Amino acid sequence: MDDAQTDHLKAYGLTYRAIQAGLKAEWLLNYRGGSFLIPDLDALRRDAALNGIRTEPVDSAMTAVRGEIEANNMDAVPLEKAPKIAVYAPPNAAPWDDAVTMALQYAGIQFTKIWDAEVVDGTLRDYDWLHLHHEDFTGQYSKFFLIYSGMSWLAEMVQRNSEMARRLNFATVPDLKKAVARGIRSYVDNGGFLFAMCTATETIDLALAAQAVDIAATFADGTPIDPDADAKLDWTKTFAFTGAHIETNPLVASFSDIDGHQVNGGARRQPLGAFKLFNFSAKIDPVPTMLVQNHRQVIPDFYGLTTSFTRDHLKPGVTIMGDEEGAPWVKYIHGDLGKGTWTFFGGHDPEDPQHQIGDPATDLSLHPHSPGYRLILNNVLFPAAKKKELKT
Amino acid sequence: MSPRRSIRLALALVLLVASPALLRPQAIGPGFELERTGRYADAASIYFTTLRSDPTNLPALLGLERTLFVLNRMPELLPLVQAARERLPESPALRSLELRVYAALNELDSLETIARRWAAGAPQSETPYREWGQALADRRLWDEARRAFLAGRHALGHDGALALELAQLEQRAGNWEAAAAEWGRAVTRTPDVEPNAANTLADAPAAMHERVAHVLTAPPASVRARRLAAELLLAWGQPTEAWGAMQSTLAPVDSDTPVALRRFVDLAAAVETPEAHRVRGLALTRWADMVPWSMGSRARAEAVGELLEGGDKVAARHVLEGLTGDSTVPPEAHAAAEAALIQVLIADGQLDVAAERLASEKTAITADDRAGLRLTLAQARVARGDLNRAEAALGNDSSVVAMAERGWIALYRGNLPGAMSAFRAAGPYASDRAAATERTAMMAMLQRIQEESSPELGAALLTLARGDTIAAIAALRRAGSRLPEQGGRLEVLLLAGQVAAQKGGEQEQAAIALFDEIVRGGGEGAAPAAAELEWSRLLVRTGRSADAIPHLEHLILTYPNSAFVPEARRVLERAKGAIPKS
Repeated sequence: MDDAQTDHLKAYGLTYRAIQAGLKAEWLLNYRGGSFLIPDLDALRRDAALNGIRTEPVDSAMTAVRGEIEANNMDAVPLEKAPKIAVYAPPNAAPWDDAVTMALQYAGIQFTKIWDAEVVDGTLRDYDWLHLHHEDFTGQYSKFFLIYSGMSWLAEMVQRNSEMARRLNFATVPDLKKAVARGIRSYVDNGGFLFAMCTATETIDLALAAQAVDIAATFADGTPIDPDADAKLDWTKTFAFTGAHIETNPLVASFSDIDGHQVNGGARRQPLGAFKLFNFSAKIDPVPTMLVQNHRQVIPDFYGLTTSFTRDHLKPGVTIMGDEEGAPWVKYIHGDLGKGTWTFFGGHDPEDPQHQIGDPATDLSLHPHSPGYRLILNNVLFPAAKKKELKT
Repeated sequence: MSPRRSIRLALALVLLVASPALLRPQAIGPGFELERTGRYADAASIYFTTLRSDPTNLPALLGLERTLFVLNRMPELLPLVQAARERLPESPALRSLELRVYAALNELDSLETIARRWAAGAPQSETPYREWGQALADRRLWDEARRAFLAGRHALGHDGALALELAQLEQRAGNWEAAAAEWGRAVTRTPDVEPNAANTLADAPAAMHERVAHVLTAPPASVRARRLAAELLLAWGQPTEAWGAMQSTLAPVDSDTPVALRRFVDLAAAVETPEAHRVRGLALTRWADMVPWSMGSRARAEAVGELLEGGDKVAARHVLEGLTGDSTVPPEAHAAAEAALIQVLIADGQLDVAAERLASEKTAITADDRAGLRLTLAQARVARGDLNRAEAALGNDSSVVAMAERGWIALYRGNLPGAMSAFRAAGPYASDRAAATERTAMMAMLQRIQEESSPELGAALLTLARGDTIAAIAALRRAGSRLPEQGGRLEVLLLAGQVAAQKGGEQEQAAIALFDEIVRGGGEGAAPAAAELEWSRLLVRTGRSADAIPHLEHLILTYPNSAFVPEARRVLERAKGAIPKS
């Protein structure tokens, strides 16, 4: 799908629906910016026409296409089973709060919303793919408690989380979120696919590292942060990060020095640049290759409560898939844990770089070629790839 | 040690001891840096070290206040602050800090004792009570903070004392009425806080607007409080109520009145409703009476425009008659007033009187104004169905705007080629964008019609222009039915359908019947796709999104190359809930 494609994002939905209907599809990695091969059926043609997706019949030309794939850094990966998708979000969260649900809605890919109860009771294992977005797994309400004191949405968030903690028999919200983080880790360990953006990336690792130490401010759990928290963090439990320092000031809406941009960190805030996607060997490293399929190599950066990940705090073995050249941070990372995999993508909304609370929702019909959103959708389809083909 | 070296050392020691102020930034600078990077314990050590040599070093004490709070070690700070305060008992900064530390330690009784002791030493000062209340408010102890401020007010014996602090406190606590009352006291006492009060109270929830305004306007509210209410009501989009509040402050006129009224006029300019224009016109008229004549005449001319925009023709004419009949008014102001008066007369339906004044050689109306008035007069004549006098009103005006109007007159007469020719000559830039779009749509319709003349269509369009929508829909249907299906019928029916859909209510069924007929007619023109899109929009608008989806899908699949397809996809996505409502 190069610049000739009329709606890159919806093309993912078409492919998803094709495999969901039991049809065979292939992901032609690096072929014209990454393309999909689906059967030429009336129903799919109709679907494509209705959604404004450009399709090209290949027929006899397919032999030449396969030859080109064979001769270059390309590969054809079969897509077999439409992954069952869960999105971790509070019950009344609007789809427009979250870039992934927006992308899924726009592309026409079905998903189910789950929250703390479903993670704690084990329902999560019924899903192949889990997405996290701006949840604060440290249980500190994104540290908005003091800054946005008095706002109705914050009061509602506090009430909803407190009620859930009580319902599930946890003493505090931070305790609940730590248990949820453990549940998600266990899900990945057992073969789940995790994709996280924004705050969820950083805070889930902080919550996992802080299982035995209090890193939540007094307003969240009634007790102060352990003064020696940094020293007591156990980074062996985390997905991606190690050796980070906790931000203990309750008035600074930042969690640690994992985030390179520190959007709410006052003088520490860094300006936005652009990040570049890495090239991988399609035949040897099909997984990261799938995750970086795009018609653009360089993508404008965008803020989130966690925008990027400092290189110094990445664990050995983490695969960097996108970074800002010369900067001490990376944007897009991937790794394995047990039988599963995880992908972290910094930032909140690829088409709303400065995203502020209360901003209008992004209308993706105005951004059908969004390269940032395309990265999100790569992650949605990647679990559909036939497993035996995956070499890493 | 040689004597010379010992002297040097002694000098150096003297310099070190004698210049602590010079050394302070250097000594605690690393503390700030450590704080910035989140190393609070290390920063605190630096501040402790500084205080050992300089116990009253305020930046170090403030640094400890920040860092020890985060580290949950506030008890360590109290003896240091007490020691510093004993050395510098007159320092308000140290007194304030001491209060904040007691508040942080939740020792509220000690806090009150210290504050009252400070107040006893400064009986006329608000500061001890302010700092006492503020320390409690920072801890979100609203009731205790309120008690502290009110204790200060009582002790100082002034109703407006600490009003600003109480206003901010009540607002933080979400007590909007109490906040309004305090802001009212604050602006009465200190006019400079009025912008702050207005900005802050403007954020009150909509449900509280009426109550906040009542608090600020009900007797015995001061003039300044009522003006604050007027400003707030403007910000909340209630210009008439705002003017009511403002008017009550205009008599007797004092030195502040013209300034306050001018501010009201300027703020009203930000509200773009007819009601706001009218209010601004009324305010400008009053302001004009308070300022020198040269400024006043300009203001009156501006007031007329505003009153007309606000639909208050009586008030506008009243102002204008005063202006046009006054020989002392400068010529340019006189001309502007005359032009405005003719505008009023046209709007009021007195077309012959307006035409007479416009034709008079006495008036010095500018050429541009005259052309604009002729066009307005012509449009008013058209609205009455008087096409001959409408054409006459345009005279020999060769502007593109007049050309476009001639096109409409030709069309209403049924002269289709004449209309087409005039619209082409007018081009795409005559009048505003909406008018240009309307002409282009009409040309697209006329293009499909082969007939040279269609008085029925002209009459139907004139009926529409005159505002008789229901009669126009029927007339357009009749006119359309006389045209061949692929020779303009579908396009004329589409127009009828669009008008019916826009009218809504009972006409929605008529619109759907028309769209259905057009879609079934099919053919190569743009009408079927446009009709199906309009049909779908009507269904979505009336909450029948599920019914719209098959129509939109039919449109996209049947007319894949139509210019309406991108918009149809957006409507489809919205109908399916795939994109947010905008």
